[in-house]
Amino acid sequence: MRNVGIIGVGYTPVFVSKRKDVSIPEMISEAVDAAFDNTGLTPQDIDAITFGNMHTFEGVNMPHLWGAEHIRSLGKPVMRIATGGTTGMSAFQAGYYHVASGLHDVVMIVTYEKHSEGDAQVGLMGIITPEVMAMLASGIDVTGGKGMGAIGGGSAGGISYQAMSYLNHAGAGIEHIDGIAAMERRNAAKNPYAHLKDPNATAETIAKTPLVSYPIRFGHICPTTDGATVCIIASEEKAKELADKVAWVWAVSNCASDATTGNLIEGLITDPAEQMPCIIAARQAYERAGIKDPKTEFDVIEIYNGFAHQTLMFLEKLGVCEVGEAHKLLEAGELERDGRFPTNASGGVVSTNAIGTSALNRVTECALQIMGKAEGGHQVDKDVHKALAHGWGGLMQYVTVTILGDEPRKG
Amino acid sequence: MEETREVQGAWELSTFKFRIEGDGFQLMLNSMKDAKLKGLKCQECGTVYCPAPFYCRKCHVFIDDEVEVSDHGEVMTYTIGYADVRGEPLDEPRVSCMVKLDGCDTWFMGVLDEVEPDDVHIGMRVKLKWNEERVGSLQDMEAFIPE
Repeated sequence: MRNVGIIGVGYTPVFVSKRKDVSIPEMISEAVDAAFDNTGLTPQDIDAITFGNMHTFEGVNMPHLWGAEHIRSLGKPVMRIATGGTTGMSAFQAGYYHVASGLHDVVMIVTYEKHSEGDAQVGLMGIITPEVMAMLASGIDVTGGKGMGAIGGGSAGGISYQAMSYLNHAGAGIEHIDGIAAMERRNAAKNPYAHLKDPNATAETIAKTPLVSYPIRFGHICPTTDGATVCIIASEEKAKELADKVAWVWAVSNCASDATTGNLIEGLITDPAEQMPCIIAARQAYERAGIKDPKTEFDVIEIYNGFAHQTLMFLEKLGVCEVGEAHKLLEAGELERDGRFPTNASGGVVSTNAIGTSALNRVTECALQIMGKAEGGHQVDKDVHKALAHGWGGLMQYVTVTILGDEPRKG
Repeated sequence: MEETREVQGAWELSTFKFRIEGDGFQLMLNSMKDAKLKGLKCQECGTVYCPAPFYCRKCHVFIDDEVEVSDHGEVMTYTIGYADVRGEPLDEPRVSCMVKLDGCDTWFMGVLDEVEPDDVHIGMRVKLKWNEERVGSLQDMEAFIPE
């Protein structure tokens, strides 16, 4: 396979709750323009486009076709990808396949979400429609009244099972979820493209937010964000010709398993905190990238954490530390921007969640850290040679991993 | 610039016509009339599923070996809900849990009743509370309660 490099990133000027001043295609266009401005490229330089956004959240079935002019795709190959939370990184990995295979030289990955024009809760219910139908058919109150309708609470309800199981396995406490949420809100305060920012957040201030579904508090949960992200990638030859600074792709991997909630129609074995796909995808990515020791080799890590406990849980699943160790790294300050394992220096998904962009932002944030182009003071202190980006989505059971380096992969 | 407009409407779930009554699901529902739970066991690896798919997820072979599963089990994970699906506060906190029933390998999700939220813990023993009148529906199960 050919080497592939990231040569440019474009974000919408802001990531906020409601962009009432632009339509969906107009908002996407802002990020596309930013990517062209940042790279000096023009639409003529782009060979093909991959496009990602969450299915069902805005009720728009073919946004890649609605926004065709705005993504400058007229007369070009376009492929839309939707894999839930992982959508952005899946679109990136599809773009990678386009270039690594030799089929195309320069590919643009376009992702967005405009939550304010839809309803995330309706969208999430849409994902588990068959389960909901089974319950409704049995007269069960799915909104959390009487009977066995135990999915009441939406995504937060389902995720709480995972958080509780994680805390139990790791020997961590709810105070650690408070602590990691506070760290990420502080990090977000230095990222101009973050949504929920709080430079003064502490575990104590997060602990004052109300419990939604124990052990998950309001302060542990991501916002619904409007925003778009664009990433341009190129073959090694083209990247060297078109860009001064390049973040090189060393490995991509992804893995699925059984869905981990909604066991009503067919019984499932999976502990929602087991996350076997993450362990498998990480192992494959490390093998492909030649990573010998994930505990020491990464200078920057970006974890997909719609809910704050996931930062700690996935650090363990990715093998960056041992099971039961992540909350100790947090306590020791090792996950901070100036720590040994700078994790979510961007503020993570828990601070900014325009879902279609969220898993791509893990990659673009790693890329910008490698290029030394992270804005607003969230660039980490040390030189970044290798970075690890993680995505999580599907029906809680799908994981993507991408590893970037500061030089082309050898061999 | 005009503010966002809201258009009233409804998304009729009845427009979807999923087949959800798979054989394994139906096997479980039928057994519930007698306050029992039936699942399928893989003849190769012995994994017991309830409600069962028609194949083993591990061995990728068809399975049809019917087995009865206990209505007692162990809490594997749980949550205490303080808000409903729309984010409105609940009058009383509501405990729900995932339970590994004895003799079964899959986890069952349900409400946990007759217990103070502070007393719930992973590893806790629970049993199913059945409704007096059962018709072979998910509604036959009222809740999990402490053993």
